[in-house]
Amino acid sequence: MTTSDQSPQLELLQGTLDLLILQTLLRGPAHGHAIAKSIESRSEEVLQVGHGSLYPALQRLLKQRLIMAGDGVSENNRKARFYRLTAAGRKKLFAETSKWQRFSEAIARVLSPLPEHGK
Amino acid sequence: MNWWKRRSEQLDDEMRKHIEFETQQNIEAGMPPHEAHYAALRKFGNLSSVKEESREVWGWIWMERLWQDVRYAVRGLLKSPGFTSVALLSLLMGIGVTTALFSVVYGVLIAPYPYAKPDEIWALGVLGPKDRPPGWHSYSRREFFEIQKLPAFADAMATSFEPVLLTGGTNPQSFYGILLTGNAFHFIGVPALLGRTIQPFDIKGDGEPAPVVVLTYRFWQQNFNGDPGAIGKTLVLNDVRHTIIGVMPPRFGWYTNDSFWLPMRMNLTDETPTNVIVRLRPGVSKEAAEQQLQNLNVRFAAEKPRNFPKDGFRTQLMNYMDITVASGEMASSLHLLSLAVGFLLLISCVNVANLQLARTTTRRREIAVRLSIGAGRARLVRQLLTESVLLSLFGGALGIAFALGVTRVIAMLIPADYIPNEARITMNGYVLLFSFAVSVLTGILFGLTPAIRCSRPDLVDALKDGGRGTGASVKGQAIRTWLVIAEVALSVMLLAGAVLAIRGFSHLLNVNPGFQPEKTLMVDIPLNPKRYPTIEQRNRFDRELLENIANLPGVRSAAIGNGGLPFGGARSSYSIEGQPEAPDKRIVTSLISNDYLRTLGIPLKRGRQMTLQEVTTGDHLAIINETAAKLWPAGEDPIGRRIKIDALTDLGSPQILIPAGSSAEVTVVGIAADTRNQGLRDVTLPGAYVPYTLVAPPNRRLAIRTVADPLKILNAVRERVHEMDKDLPLGRPVTLQEILGFETVEPRFNMALFSCFAGLGLALAAAGIYSVISYDVTQRAHEIGVRFALGAKRRDVLVLVLRMVVKVSALGLIVGLCLSVVLERVVRFQVFAATSFDAISAIGIIGVLFLISVMAAVLPAVKAGRVDPVIALRHEA
Repeated sequence: MTTSDQSPQLELLQGTLDLLILQTLLRGPAHGHAIAKSIESRSEEVLQVGHGSLYPALQRLLKQRLIMAGDGVSENNRKARFYRLTAAGRKKLFAETSKWQRFSEAIARVLSPLPEHGK
Repeated sequence: MNWWKRRSEQLDDEMRKHIEFETQQNIEAGMPPHEAHYAALRKFGNLSSVKEESREVWGWIWMERLWQDVRYAVRGLLKSPGFTSVALLSLLMGIGVTTALFSVVYGVLIAPYPYAKPDEIWALGVLGPKDRPPGWHSYSRREFFEIQKLPAFADAMATSFEPVLLTGGTNPQSFYGILLTGNAFHFIGVPALLGRTIQPFDIKGDGEPAPVVVLTYRFWQQNFNGDPGAIGKTLVLNDVRHTIIGVMPPRFGWYTNDSFWLPMRMNLTDETPTNVIVRLRPGVSKEAAEQQLQNLNVRFAAEKPRNFPKDGFRTQLMNYMDITVASGEMASSLHLLSLAVGFLLLISCVNVANLQLARTTTRRREIAVRLSIGAGRARLVRQLLTESVLLSLFGGALGIAFALGVTRVIAMLIPADYIPNEARITMNGYVLLFSFAVSVLTGILFGLTPAIRCSRPDLVDALKDGGRGTGASVKGQAIRTWLVIAEVALSVMLLAGAVLAIRGFSHLLNVNPGFQPEKTLMVDIPLNPKRYPTIEQRNRFDRELLENIANLPGVRSAAIGNGGLPFGGARSSYSIEGQPEAPDKRIVTSLISNDYLRTLGIPLKRGRQMTLQEVTTGDHLAIINETAAKLWPAGEDPIGRRIKIDALTDLGSPQILIPAGSSAEVTVVGIAADTRNQGLRDVTLPGAYVPYTLVAPPNRRLAIRTVADPLKILNAVRERVHEMDKDLPLGRPVTLQEILGFETVEPRFNMALFSCFAGLGLALAAAGIYSVISYDVTQRAHEIGVRFALGAKRRDVLVLVLRMVVKVSALGLIVGLCLSVVLERVVRFQVFAATSFDAISAIGIIGVLFLISVMAAVLPAVKAGRVDPVIALRHEA
């Protein structure tokens, strides 16, 4: 009902965004702006559409119970909504990471130059 | 909803802080505060679409949107109350009236019977070379047995009836008892409400029926107060004690709905005609069955040529539904009324379409604005759809309520004598669904088309076009003008129908029946054939009865008029002395006493009346009517001539008696003025009055002219009859004026409904004219302003508006009148009796329509006259 009409490219971006959020939260709880900044520093294009696209992703992760939300105090002493990883989120992150690693290793093997025949 | 609200607020707050933090960082990075804020906003992206996307993840978005759309739609509809109320009214009428009338059609014409598979019942018709349609042929009991044995038929049953005298109670009562073959109830397929129905074993092997009786629901209610203990009790019918074995449900009225059914005596020598119906054996074609029956009929005709057409015949099976319900006056007027409500439904759909078109066209700008600030096209269409559906549903709900009421009113108005006993008129779900769907779809379709058209991405045009319509909206206006013309044309056709119905009705009220109906009572006195088995007994009774009643104080005169009082009568073939036989011509024969013409107030034109002496002795004399006098060539005086009337000796039933050796020839002694002897709506047929003593049927009908209120004499009459024979019942008394009233019941029904429908149609058309003209005035405010600025007078502007109205209604009028004339020629409007379309009707229609259109144009014209040129022109800039 909600995301089915989106293009595959966007889906890919969304998947990446989800992983990036989980990755960011692995270092500890963070509020939305901090997450955005952290992602921005690591990947240029994912947040190209705007910081705003972070929020639908956060709602999605909340719904999947991969992250949790709670109130906290920001670095400039303001009350803000902090997100942190749940156990499920942690597991999901590792699973995805190892999957990606396996996948990129496989790709790397396929793309690496073949050893010369007969040597 | 609370959770939803809290979470929405939380999200809003979170995003606001996000932007705040970003702004802060930007300031720290050295941006001026103002710029820092905008940079943060830019970086964040489209705030509201992010909010929406986030909420979408929660999964409740459709509900939120629906709720939002509904609220928006309600607000929008309330903001234009004129549009909303006219649209609702149109839906209400379209759905309400259509459903109501089609419910009546369904109840009366399509499913009037509770019988098992009524459409598979066939009646047996015989068709002479000139007959069309075929007549329902009747058979004797012996013939019925042979028909039953035909291999083509799965089942066959016969119905007959005879007068039955109920005695043993306080007052003797006379009924028509319905005689049925043993398999009849099984054939019809309706179980008893209480007890059991007549079964084959109720008629013994030798054809003798058991003394059992099955009651109608009404008889049971009236005579036993609905007591279930009535089963097993006895009724004395024709002096024989009959056991009540069953009561039928209220919705069962095979040939009667207030008497009872008896097993038929299957006497092979009994020649009383019975009505036979059959069901075909599965797999047997109608043609094959007709062939078998034809062969049988040919044999019957050889045995009794009198019962069949003289010069050859064909056998035809007639569907029972067709001959009992789908023919006749009620059927044709219902067909016509269906056509009328069809028009009404069309008009209301056109109206709704028109309104929706006008509304969405004015909203083009709004739609364009919303699109340009980022509303999705699908979302927008969905919202407009919500509005259309909401309006339609609400209108539909009102329509259903209205339909319930109207169905009840029509069911009350419909003359009971014209519909089958078992017809039940209730609101029909399928019809309701149909008209509901049609109206709602119209609303949605015409509500959406402009939305879809407008939401194409040529926003620039739409925005530039602004409030004033050019280009596409002019095209929309043209469509709507044509729709209104169609509406006017349709309502003109309805109006034409109404005018014809009204004129037909008033014509009927002015028809001179040929007799004087005032202060005349009619009452039937049926003699029990077994107690009065000879014609001498019956004639003696009649003579004494007339003497007794004529001598009552308050009675001016009394007469017997068996058959043909005041309408109908036996149609007999005849031959005039000195003329060749005309086998297919008929004369209507009435059996009268000497005072008949005086009692009914029918003037004698020439010749003389019959004397008491002549009537008593049964002289073979006749008085003929003027139409019959024309059967003789001009210049030849019928008086003194002889005419042979076959019905005087050729009797249909053994219960009708004639003097031994009586001849069918009578001598004309007088010529009476014509009466409408076939009812007010039909032409007068040749008629002959002969002495009642020549033929004595079981029933006698008396006409009693009184000095004062005719019903006041009733008790005295009853006492006299009781003195003569205490077991003799009196039929239901009725005055001649009431009988004339019955004649106008059906035309009155037509007139009432047609006028209502035409009124509704006109109201809808007026609303259509109003909406188009008033919209047009709004659209042309600028032009009108320019006109004013250039020195046009208010009168000129009024003329401008009126010209638009006249254009629309004149075109509609012409189209409507042409179609009405064509339709009248194509459909034979037997419903409207003698009237046909003429100049007076046309002038009436034009007048009414003109009045209505001017009324519809008054408001827009006033509005146009009030246009302020300054405002109108500034609007342009």
